[in-house]
Amino acid sequence: MLTVRNLHAGYDGKEVLRDVNINVPTGSVVTVLGANGAGKSTLLNSIVGLVPTSSGVIEWNGGKIENTTPDQALKCGIALVPEQRELFLGMSVADNLRMGAYLRRNSLDIGAEQQYLLEIFPSLKSRLEQPARALSGGEQQMLAIARALMSKPSVLLLDEPSLGLAPKFVEEIFRILKQITGDGTTVLLVEQNAAMALDAAESGYVLDIGKITFSGTSEELKKSPIVRASYL
Amino acid sequence: MLGQLLASSVTAGAVYALVALGFVLIHKGTGVVHFGYGDQVTFGAYLVLIIQFLTGLPFWPAVIVALFASAFLGWAIYNGLMRPLRNAPLLVQIIATLALGTVMREFLRAYMGPNAWSFPFLLTSSSFDLGGILLVPANLAIVGVSLALLCLLFFLFERTFRGKSIIAACDNRTGASLVGVSVSGVFSSIWMLASVIATVAGILVAPVLTLSPEMGLIGIKGFVAAILGGFNSLTGAVVGGILLGVIETLVGAYISSALKDMISYGILILVVLVRPQGLLGILSVKKV
Amino acid sequence: MRLRIIFSVLGIAMFFLIPKLFADYNLYQFCLIAVTSLIVLGLVIVTGIAGQISLGQSAFVALGGYGAAILATNWGVPLWLGIPLVAVLVATVGFLLGLMTLRVEGHYLALTTMAFTAIVQLALVHADAVTGGAAGMPVPSFELFGKSLSTGAELYYLIVPITALLFIVVINLNNSRTGRVFAAIRQSEIAAEAMGVNILVYKASAFAASAFLGAIGGGLLAILVTYLDPAQFGITQTVYYLAIAVVGGLLSPFGAIIGTTVFVFLPEFLQTFQTYLGLVFGIMLLGFIVLRPKGLASLIDIENLKKIVFKSRRESVGS
Repeated sequence: MLTVRNLHAGYDGKEVLRDVNINVPTGSVVTVLGANGAGKSTLLNSIVGLVPTSSGVIEWNGGKIENTTPDQALKCGIALVPEQRELFLGMSVADNLRMGAYLRRNSLDIGAEQQYLLEIFPSLKSRLEQPARALSGGEQQMLAIARALMSKPSVLLLDEPSLGLAPKFVEEIFRILKQITGDGTTVLLVEQNAAMALDAAESGYVLDIGKITFSGTSEELKKSPIVRASYL
Repeated sequence: MLGQLLASSVTAGAVYALVALGFVLIHKGTGVVHFGYGDQVTFGAYLVLIIQFLTGLPFWPAVIVALFASAFLGWAIYNGLMRPLRNAPLLVQIIATLALGTVMREFLRAYMGPNAWSFPFLLTSSSFDLGGILLVPANLAIVGVSLALLCLLFFLFERTFRGKSIIAACDNRTGASLVGVSVSGVFSSIWMLASVIATVAGILVAPVLTLSPEMGLIGIKGFVAAILGGFNSLTGAVVGGILLGVIETLVGAYISSALKDMISYGILILVVLVRPQGLLGILSVKKV
Repeated sequence: MRLRIIFSVLGIAMFFLIPKLFADYNLYQFCLIAVTSLIVLGLVIVTGIAGQISLGQSAFVALGGYGAAILATNWGVPLWLGIPLVAVLVATVGFLLGLMTLRVEGHYLALTTMAFTAIVQLALVHADAVTGGAAGMPVPSFELFGKSLSTGAELYYLIVPITALLFIVVINLNNSRTGRVFAAIRQSEIAAEAMGVNILVYKASAFAASAFLGAIGGGLLAILVTYLDPAQFGITQTVYYLAIAVVGGLLSPFGAIIGTTVFVFLPEFLQTFQTYLGLVFGIMLLGFIVLRPKGLASLIDIENLKKIVFKSRRESVGS
């Protein structure tokens, strides 16, 4: 279980998140909805340590991980696919994937993983040797997610995966999401596209200017008048 | 005559290329310009002599020890000085690397004396003829070792996973961190590598220039070469180095050998003002 | 206001008292401190207050010293005229150098100013017909109203008032709008531009000021040491001045005096360790830039003292 308790976090002295509490049960898909600037990215970034936590606790697997570093977070099994994707644009698709498995030792395993992922992300298969910067927006998003999956994370943090993508890619991403979660990966999904997010998730939260204003199961969220008015 | 000039150019160019490579490695990798790198090159050459004095080892074993010691020095510089200062203002970082160079130079001046030492390597000045061109063993050694080192680095960065992860980390620090690469580990590796390169460059150049604490002035030549090649590109550093070697040799032969150095420094100013991205690089010189 | 009068009276009293109390050699040292602190003051203005890294201070000193000496030797221009004249010329050179900040800053500015110093030094060595080349050249003695000044005491009465005057001018400038603009430029060029000032002109002026002070310092230094050697005007020397500025306090004119005093008197204390002098200076620079980048001036709390006397604000180095 990934738990966030009384989290206050922000950059450059500016507090973006105020007293945020979130529970992500192992193996489930949880979504956080909110408008631009609500602090959704900050939430995911502070879990892996890209943004400093001023107070509060982030717990995973019984250990406190607030103010860690992204590489340490990955060692604990938490992988982030950030909004900016942060791909190695000069490297090939294959090398980007290989880098995703940086922490893993067994090359046979890694090879098998890459094969498996290329089946799930067919558009990457055809572009294996091309540099990442040659890919379209949608394909880069696929690559970013695949790269994160190469580390076989226990928790996958997705920051607005559908942002700026054509509907075709959005559908594909959520289809892939279903396939991944079937394998038992815990997913914390941050999205503006509330409709698709609530279909994919079991429960969710609403973040408004740094504070959690609503929480519940997907059904409850879909029915809630606030959510319907602002986000659906 | 032209062949002779070519030989001199390539020799000088190879050394400049190595020094430029070290600079660019540190800058591209960690974002810091090591203003004391020239002094570190000098220090590297002296290190061999110091090790010989302290342990009585013959030349080549001392070189091996010196290379390891340099790696350790690089590790120490990063973790002891540059890492604590990583969030300090730019001015502080610049002065810190200047200070580092000064300390190394003055240490050498204090303990080894301000006068030149003879470096026990390639001392035979007997030249031999190669197709009409007069060569000295030093020429061959410098070009040969530089080439070998460059091939080694190419192999490291293009073919090994560890090397590729260093390039990846230079390319995108956040991305690297997200896939589990420890950024401080990468930076340590870069400083260690650059320090070893400095020592190699020092050992190659000490027989040709005179080994004195002032040898560090070669650092500025390395800067010029790095800037010619665009400060952010490793291949650019090598090309810039060779180019500088050629320009200097030609100026020395056809214009005036006294003005050779001045023109090199003048080139630096010219390139920075007119085409800061150098001939190969694409970099931002001014922050917005 | 009252404090200002008290300090001024104390200062003047000390000025006349010191030659009575100290030997000629010590007075010579006072002169050296005065001259060096002038040079470092230039660095404080351009690198400390205005935030523009300059490794060119040695070059300005060299140009000032050699310029005045050459004018005196070859054209008979008396030094009391030559030194300020050359200083104005060198200030123009400094201004032009400062215009480079349009294209470069940070590392690249450091590199270009370093290259400038190297070029000037090489030029001095190669123009040996005029400068005596690597062997150097002697400096004619300073003559005023037919009397030549050469003892420590005589030079003291010349150099110290000039230094004090220049310091007062700089301190007043620092507390005026110019100083505030420099500080704004150091902290954020974008914010400074928003103030409606032409920051390029201000940056170039900071360089010009450092060049002027460096050149005056160079001219006075030439009189003091009576012989110019190009080896004394290279990058090592420029780092030496930087070290003094850092140790004394880059942001503070008083820092220039404090730092210089330390660096000039240190050799006296390290008599037996002469060979380690350079190493000690280097270690001091390294130690201070890492541990106390604001320099000694911040320790002695001169800032608070200044607050009472001159009403200024606390600022940080480089940011």
